[in-house]
Amino acid sequence: MSLQDKLDAERTLRLVNEALRAAYEETITTLGRNGLMPGVLVEEAPFPDFILPNIEGKLVSLSALLARGPVIVQFFRGEWCPYCRLMLDALVAALPEIEAQGASLVALTPDTGPPARDAKVNHSATFEVLSDIDCGVGLAAGVVFRLPPLYRARMQAVGTDVPSRHGNDSWFLPIPATFVLDRDGRVAWRFADVDFTRRAAPERILAALRQLAAPD
Amino acid sequence: MELTQVRYFVALSRSLNFTRAAEACNVTQPALTRAIQRLEEELGGPLLYRERSTTQLTELGRTMLPHLDAMLMAADSAAALADARRRQPVASLKIGLAPGIGCAAIAFAVREVAAILPDLMIRLDEAAAAMLIESMLADMLDCALLPQDCDLPDRFNHWPLYDDRAVAVLPACHALADRTTITADDLRGETLLHGERCGGFACLFDATWQGQARLRRCDGAIGHLLDLVDAGLGLALLSERIVLPARLVALPIIEPTLTRRVRLVAIAGRPQGAAVSGFVKLCRARRGPDGP
Repeated sequence: MSLQDKLDAERTLRLVNEALRAAYEETITTLGRNGLMPGVLVEEAPFPDFILPNIEGKLVSLSALLARGPVIVQFFRGEWCPYCRLMLDALVAALPEIEAQGASLVALTPDTGPPARDAKVNHSATFEVLSDIDCGVGLAAGVVFRLPPLYRARMQAVGTDVPSRHGNDSWFLPIPATFVLDRDGRVAWRFADVDFTRRAAPERILAALRQLAAPD
Repeated sequence: MELTQVRYFVALSRSLNFTRAAEACNVTQPALTRAIQRLEEELGGPLLYRERSTTQLTELGRTMLPHLDAMLMAADSAAALADARRRQPVASLKIGLAPGIGCAAIAFAVREVAAILPDLMIRLDEAAAAMLIESMLADMLDCALLPQDCDLPDRFNHWPLYDDRAVAVLPACHALADRTTITADDLRGETLLHGERCGGFACLFDATWQGQARLRRCDGAIGHLLDLVDAGLGLALLSERIVLPARLVALPIIEPTLTRRVRLVAIAGRPQGAAVSGFVKLCRARRGPDGP
């Protein structure tokens, strides 16, 4: 079963709940029409260099990772999101092949502290999980939006304390975009969709890496 | 949202003048106006009233400004830290510590910042919370670790970092020293030395177990107080994070548990250098009940 098949099954199961369906539809409709997508970094664009803290209390530098090879920058919403959990499992499974291509993977979430640690520990992930504090790098990549009211209310109703998780009450989230960067830090391939139940297929990521490794 | 849209909006909110904001951002005024309009579309309403001679923030504009400003600063600081790693400029980090908090919990973050910025100058100031707040307002300190219970002016951001638990500190020759834990019963009749740098745990204990132990006021440096504990003047209730000399024993207090929440405090919206923003981000990323 592919990642997208699993995501589709999860969506079908969850959207039986009418409040959730309304919140989901409001989010993707709002993002679809409000001009978010044209601002997302496109192929060939240089990805802005950054340093962010990882969950172990170290600073991680994009340029230090790029010095070793291509880098996959994966934005995700947080361990609270079932679609992110499926995606993290898929990335964990794909990691040996990613590393075999000489690439590294960093996963950026606006979550801080224990919830961000859970995202690594619960999936036995060995890639870097970074706290994108106040969504700064997400903004630079053009992937941040403000959660619309229905979805915000839905999260409050189910007890997902976003202000505590993020350390701010801004209600900003990234769309779960994927950027494959070449060694010069340029976007070689990207996946971005306003529908957060759609994610980059690991095989597409691997194909982009193979393309980078191929002689010109 | 795009970085430039947010940057233009924050600049415009400062000058409330399209011409000056466009100059400050080095763009044409139509480009700035278009970017603001697109941001307004995304955020679902006007951020500014545009009247003939005046420009004012709308309620939505006022609500969104601190959030957008914080996000812009986070974007700029992530890039500035990367740039500082290449250029290695001289930088400073001035951290206030409320009495009895110590810097053991944040030492990892200072070390990480110093690894990126080898010429980092570090200053740690221990003082009463009110004095640290004054120092931050006067730009003498970049940020501070303060207990949860102190009042803060509106201009401050604060993030809970960890829960500080008290231990009982006693000489190795004390009758209780071979215990593994301490309860309120064990402290009956004991003398507790307490002072302004002890974190208030003895007073917290006395508030619920009044008369159980005798409190003796003893102000001054923690090192001197520990010398008195060693000499047998009494016990001390201190943060479990304070590093003790080998001749003293620290035992967890299990009944009652004495805790206080420690938070990181900084002035909202004040531009921070790469060292400070890196430090604050590291601390926020590692927050949790058990701390870094």
